[in-house]
Parts: sequence; C-alpha cells; structure tokens
Amino acid sequence: MDRLWWHFQQLLKIDAMNLVILVIVVLIGWTIISETIPNPARYLPSPLAVSLSSVDMLVKGLLPSYYSDTLVRLIIGSSIGLAAGIPFGLLLGLNKTVADMFHPMMNFFQSVSGIAIFPIVVIWWGNSDTTVLAVILYTSFFPIAFNVLSGVREIPIRYVNAARTMGASKYQIMKDVLFPGAMPHIATGSRLSIGFAWRAVIAGEMLAGRQGLGWMIFTGQDADRTAEVILGMVMIGLTWIILDHYLLRPIEADTIERWGLVQR
Amino acid sequence: MTTAVGNLSIAIQRRFGRQRLRKIILGSIPFAVMITIWHANTVFEWLPPVFIPPIGDVWEAIFFLQEDCAGFVALVMLDNSCLITTHVFSSIGRVILAAIVGLPLGIAFGILCGMSRTLSKFLEPVGVFANSISGIAWIPLAIVWFGVGWVTTLFIMLNTIFWLMFFNSMLGVRSVAKVYEESVLTMGGSRWDVIKQVYLPGAMPSIITGMRMSMGFGWRALIAAEMIGGDSGLGFMIFTSAAEFKIEEVFLGVIFISIIFMATDKYLLAPLEKWTVERWGLVWRPT
Amino acid sequence: MNSMTPKLVVEGLTHYYPDEYTGESVHALEDINLELYEGELVSVVGPSGCGKSTLLNILAGLLPYKIGTASVDGNVIHGPGPDRGVVFQEHAILPWRTVAKNIGHGLEIRKVPQAEREKRVQEFIDLVGLTGFEDKFPHELSGGMKQRCQVARTLCSDPVVMLMDEPFAAVDAQTRITLQEELNRIAMATHKTILFITHSVEEAAFLADRCLVFSARPGRLKEIVEIGIPREQRNWTNMNDNAIFIAARDRILASVREEVSIAVEE
Ligand SMILES: Nc1ncnc2c1ncn2[C@@H]1O[C@H](COP(=O)(O)OP(=O)(O)OP(=O)(O)O)[C@@H](O)[C@H]1O
Ligand SMILES: [Mg+2]
Repeated sequence: MDRLWWHFQQLLKIDAMNLVILVIVVLIGWTIISETIPNPARYLPSPLAVSLSSVDMLVKGLLPSYYSDTLVRLIIGSSIGLAAGIPFGLLLGLNKTVADMFHPMMNFFQSVSGIAIFPIVVIWWGNSDTTVLAVILYTSFFPIAFNVLSGVREIPIRYVNAARTMGASKYQIMKDVLFPGAMPHIATGSRLSIGFAWRAVIAGEMLAGRQGLGWMIFTGQDADRTAEVILGMVMIGLTWIILDHYLLRPIEADTIERWGLVQR
Repeated sequence: MTTAVGNLSIAIQRRFGRQRLRKIILGSIPFAVMITIWHANTVFEWLPPVFIPPIGDVWEAIFFLQEDCAGFVALVMLDNSCLITTHVFSSIGRVILAAIVGLPLGIAFGILCGMSRTLSKFLEPVGVFANSISGIAWIPLAIVWFGVGWVTTLFIMLNTIFWLMFFNSMLGVRSVAKVYEESVLTMGGSRWDVIKQVYLPGAMPSIITGMRMSMGFGWRALIAAEMIGGDSGLGFMIFTSAAEFKIEEVFLGVIFISIIFMATDKYLLAPLEKWTVERWGLVWRPT
Repeated sequence: MNSMTPKLVVEGLTHYYPDEYTGESVHALEDINLELYEGELVSVVGPSGCGKSTLLNILAGLLPYKIGTASVDGNVIHGPGPDRGVVFQEHAILPWRTVAKNIGHGLEIRKVPQAEREKRVQEFIDLVGLTGFEDKFPHELSGGMKQRCQVARTLCSDPVVMLMDEPFAAVDAQTRITLQEELNRIAMATHKTILFITHSVEEAAFLADRCLVFSARPGRLKEIVEIGIPREQRNWTNMNDNAIFIAARDRILASVREEVSIAVEE
C-alpha cells in the first residue's frame, strides 16, 4: 500500500506536468483531425463526442455495469488460474525427472495463444460465460505454471538436499525450498499471466458476445457508434496502465528485489 | 546381438549427448500419453466426436481442405483453392509483412526518441498507453476504418509490433551510458556515427528481446484479429470452421498455429536473442 | 571409550556408478568397513576422485547403495533422515531465510514448539559465534560465517552423527584456520560424533581422533592413523611443535602421496 502511494506521489511530482501537456497536445491534434475529415462521427469522433457518449453511458448505467463485468471476469479467471497454476508448477518441479518430462509440454501449451482455443471451447460450451472463462483460465494458467516450473528447475539441488537431510517431507520441501526459491519467477509469471488474461477477457467478450468492455467496443462498431468504441478503448488502456504500472510492476519489482537479491 | 544394440545405443548417446537425449525422450512422453488418451477417447467415446474429433479426422482434414489443390506446384504458387495453404500462407505472409515494416519502423523511432531525453519523456507515456490498449482492443476501430479484411488484420499486427518495438528500443538506447556517446563525439564522430556505433549496438539486446516479445504478442493479436475482423488466415479458418461445427478443422488449425509459432520462436527468435545477448550483452551491460 | 557400541557402522560398502556412455560402471568404493564411536571425530583423506563424497552421500542417504550395509544407531540407512546432519562443501543454507530461521529449520521441520526452538537456536548461534547476526540474510554474511551457520544448523537438529564434506575448502586460508579451531572447540563442547572429509592432510591431522586414508579409486580403506592428542591441547600455536601431530601428519601425507602417484600413473 505504501508502495502504491509512493508511486502515486512520484507520478504527481515528476510526470504530472509532462503528462498534462501531452494530453492537451494529443486532444488538440485529435480534435483537429476529426474536424477536418468527412463523417467524423463514423471514423473519428472528436474527444468532445467521446466524452458526451461517456456521460450518456454513465447515465444509462451501462458503462459501470460493463466495466464491472469485465473486471469480475478478469479477477475470477486470473485468480483461479494463478491459484491452480502455482501449486501445479511446484508439484511438477518436486521431482527432477517429472520436471524434465513436463517442461516441453508446458512450454507448448503456454505458447499456444489462448485466444486460438476459443473456437474449440465455443463448440463445447457455446457463446456462454463458461467459454469466456475457459479462455481466460487457459491463458492465465499455462504461463504461470510454466514460469514456476522453470523457476523450480533453477533452484540449486543442494538446497533441496539440505532440507532432505533434515528430514523434510515432500510438502515441507515444497513450502520451505521450492516456493520461496521460485518466488521471482512466480512474480514474473503472475504479471505475464494477468496480462494475457486481460487480453483474453477483451477478445473473449468480443467473440462470445458476453457483456463487458470488449462487447461494448464490438457492438459499438457494429451499430456505428464509434464514440463508444473509442471510449471503450480508452477505458481498456487506462485500466491496464493502472493495473500494470501501479500494482503489478511494483509488486514484481519488489519481489525480485527482495527474493532475487537474497539468492545471490 | 546385444553388444550390437549396446554399441548402437552408445554411438547414439555419444552423437547427441546423453543429457539432451534424456530430455528429448522424457519430454516426448507426455505428448505420447496425450495422443494416446486422445485416441482412446475416439475408441471408447468418453466425449462425443463432435467435441473431440478422432485423430484420423484431423489428419484427413488436411487433405479435405487441400482437395481442389492441383498438387505441389500449386502449393508453391499460392493457389487460392488450396484452403490450408491459403490460410497458412496468408497468415505467415502478414506476419512477414508486418515484421518487415513494423520492426525497422519501431526500432528507428525508438532509437530517435531514446536519444533525446526530452522527447522520450513525452513519448514514453504515449508508448505506455498504446501498449496498454493491446492489439486486440483496436480491432473494432480498425474494422470501422478499413472494413473486414486483410488491411484490418495487418493493421492490428503492425500496431502491436510497432509499439512494443518502439518501447524496447527506446529503453535500450536510454540504458546506454552517456560516456560512450561523448567519447565518439570527441573523437570527431558525427551523429550518425554515434547511432551506428553506440546506440544501435548498445540497445541491441533490448531490441532483440523486444523483437521476440513483439512477434509473440503480434502473432496472438493477429489470430484474434483474423477471427474477428479478417477474411482469410488461420484464425479466420478456425473461427469459421467452429461456426460450422467442424471441430476437426479447428483442431488442425490450432495445431498449425502452435507449431508455426513454436518453430519461429524456438529456431529463429530464441537463438537470435541468445546470440545477441552473448555477443553484445556482456560488453554493453547497461549502467 | 571403544567398548561402547558404535554410533555409525559401515560394513562391506561397495559402490558403482553406472557410466554415462558405455553402460559399464565407475567403481567408486570397494569394501569399506568403519565404525564411529560416540564423541569421536574421524577424518577421511584420499586423492581426488577416490570416492570420499560418494561415501558421505551414501551415509547422508542422498545416494542409494546396493552392496554392503551402513547403519546409524543400529538403524540401517535408507534415505535421508534427521539422525544424520550434513554440512555441505558449498554453503547450502537457504538464501531466503535469516540466520536464525536457517538454524532453526530442522526443528521447524520436526514441529518443535517455537519457544523451545528459539532457545535452542540462540544457544547454537552463540556457540558458533554468530551472535548479533540472527536476522541477517546469507548474502550479508562472509563465506566463513555461512559455514558457521551451516554447522550451527546441523548441530541444532541434534543428529546422532554429523557428516561434513570438505566444509572449509571454499574459504580463505586465514578463516579456515579459525574455523578449524572453532570446530575443535565445538566438538569438545558438544561431544558430537563427526565424520569429516577433507583434502587437507594438515586439517585432518589437526582435527581427527582417527584419520582414515583412502586409496586411489576404487576407494579402499588403506590405513588408519590414530592421533591421540587431547582436544584441549589442539590449537595452531601449539600444534606445530607437537611431536604426535607432526608424526601423524607426515605419516598421512606419505600415505596419500603414494596413492596420488598411483592415481596419476593411471
Ligand atoms: N553422479 C556420478 N555419476 C558417475 N560417476 C560419478 C558420479 N559422482 C562421482 N562419480 C565418480 O566417482 C568417483 C568418486 O567421486 P567422488 O565425488 O566421491 O570423489 P571425491 O573423493 O569426493 O573427490 P574430490 O576429492 O575431488 O571431491 C569419481 O571418479 C567420479 O568421477
Ligand atoms: Mg568430493
């Protein structure tokens, strides 16, 4: 929490001026372009039009409801993904042979883009929330599990042996050696996982037509309400900036600093 | 007899290295198990074939989709009637096109912005924001602008690649110590010399890492774009096949997507990254 | 002393490593027999590659063996257990635990209540001279301190025998001398049964009640040298004029030299 506050202050102190100037420049440029092109309502509504549409959507209560739908999906999907992926990676890493065995397969699954499995799950569950959730789960589970497994494989065997000679059980080795030893990888993997999950949420909502920000920009395009599309994009961008730069990155950096330094 | 087998096994182990062989064999076990279970599912029908297609069907889908194709010559000539090759090549073609245009552009802008700290202060937030919108969120707007088709998909991929590349090159350049630049300038070098001899090699590890990252993200974004706003390519193929409940074609497409991606990453980008880091990473460790 | 039952017994222990390529095997140990009695510090010296670490790994339970038997307190060794504590050559204290938490790890594993654990940990921290460093992390310690920490961790679990594999090989010469004297003091204070593997003949002669000289590979027990110097008299200022020490050291040295030359000729 302190960390967040610190970052917030940094943001205010150093970047605030630049940021304000930048935003003004971008807004002016954007307005000029949209004033000069034909049919701006369709191709590039002016910032004013976008803010008007946001007011409109706020009044109708659509924006908050879409926004919370998307966030809830992200939170549920990525927390299940992480909660399952971290222990799974640790379990596979318990035994060197098992770890070597599953490493290529986990690598395979984590590099299959999660969105590509959408057509498969849509046949299984149709255009439902389950489908979207399955895509998010897939995209968040494999990167974290793979990263944890890679992290565990890098832990020097003598640490495990030392714990074994003190009579540690498999569970204790996992808890006292593998988990803390893989901590930097867990942090990196989590950020990666959540990042992929975020993209998957947006894509999944568009493809499966479930309400949310992705759905909002997709129908906005369909119904020729480009202002809503841009509004949605800005919301998506801002949300991810806040999430990534002011929450995930500091946490990752802290963890790596704390646990990575310690390992030297 | 046994000695012959033994000698052969020793020879193979010598040739490929014991550890590597062990890893390859171990690593293929889960895949073999997976395929066995897949096949067992076909035999015992735990899940109906509409959900999990028989392996044979997926295999046959290659030929079915390739049916009107006039043999290997046509394959090379990008005959449009060969479904698989059309989709595969149109996806790969877009990747290559996007890479040819997007990578150098991103690197050039990144280096320029990295050189001027004032400029980069203003452009960094732009990069952060553009990266945050993520390729996929641009799809609806791209459809508005360019309509459904290859321009939209190309735009999405370019957009993803460009910003990642831009950002990584900029950070790479900024990590190069100022003294190197000054030393070249004091020796009478021009700005261009500085770029060539200081910034480009100095930012190289970061650039290559960015390249690998941007191809990964770009490929994912491309598949999504093809599904939502494309009219050709592997993403389009699996999406339309799914709409017609042709699950074997979907499986085939997904397998193609994974293999293409894995192969480029493993045999092109990863070695390139490793090589650059070894070549320049140590000498040019950012200060 | 020798009338008591031995703490560690090894009988007819032979070990082969299967070879990387040929399927033939490396013969590492041949028919090792030894007994360690309570409170005894026995050192093992021998040419490089003669199987010293192999022996220790088998006794630690980290390496399965097929031929012969090895037992501690009458229990045959199958896998690692808290009755044997191991000090590894490279420090193996966990980098993410503080000194105190590392030392108490063995007790934590056995679920000893916290209050008692803390008391024991403090006792051993003081014993090895790490007082004041309880809350430091391993990366904040010097090499010698890391080894002290490892020794304390092993002692804290109160094992029946302590196995040490070249514990002081990776520290500088000056620190090594201090650590040797410390270990002598600790051995005196705790009366632990210790098997101490080393490269250094001086170190072996300085610390051991008995020194086992191994032959070149396959490792056999070549010679046993008894060093009857009371522990109180062992410190580096006295030792260099101690006739027993010098005799023992020269004897071991000659014996090892012979084996090294055999190993080189091979
Ligand atoms: N895991 C292994 N697989 C195959 N051979 C091994 C293995 N470990 C050791 N060896 C072989 O067994 C022999 C004895 O090794 P060991 O490590 O026990 O020697 P050592 O006496 O401890 O040597 P040093 O003094 O150099 O530490 C060596 O020839 C070594 O090559
Ligand atoms: Mg050894």
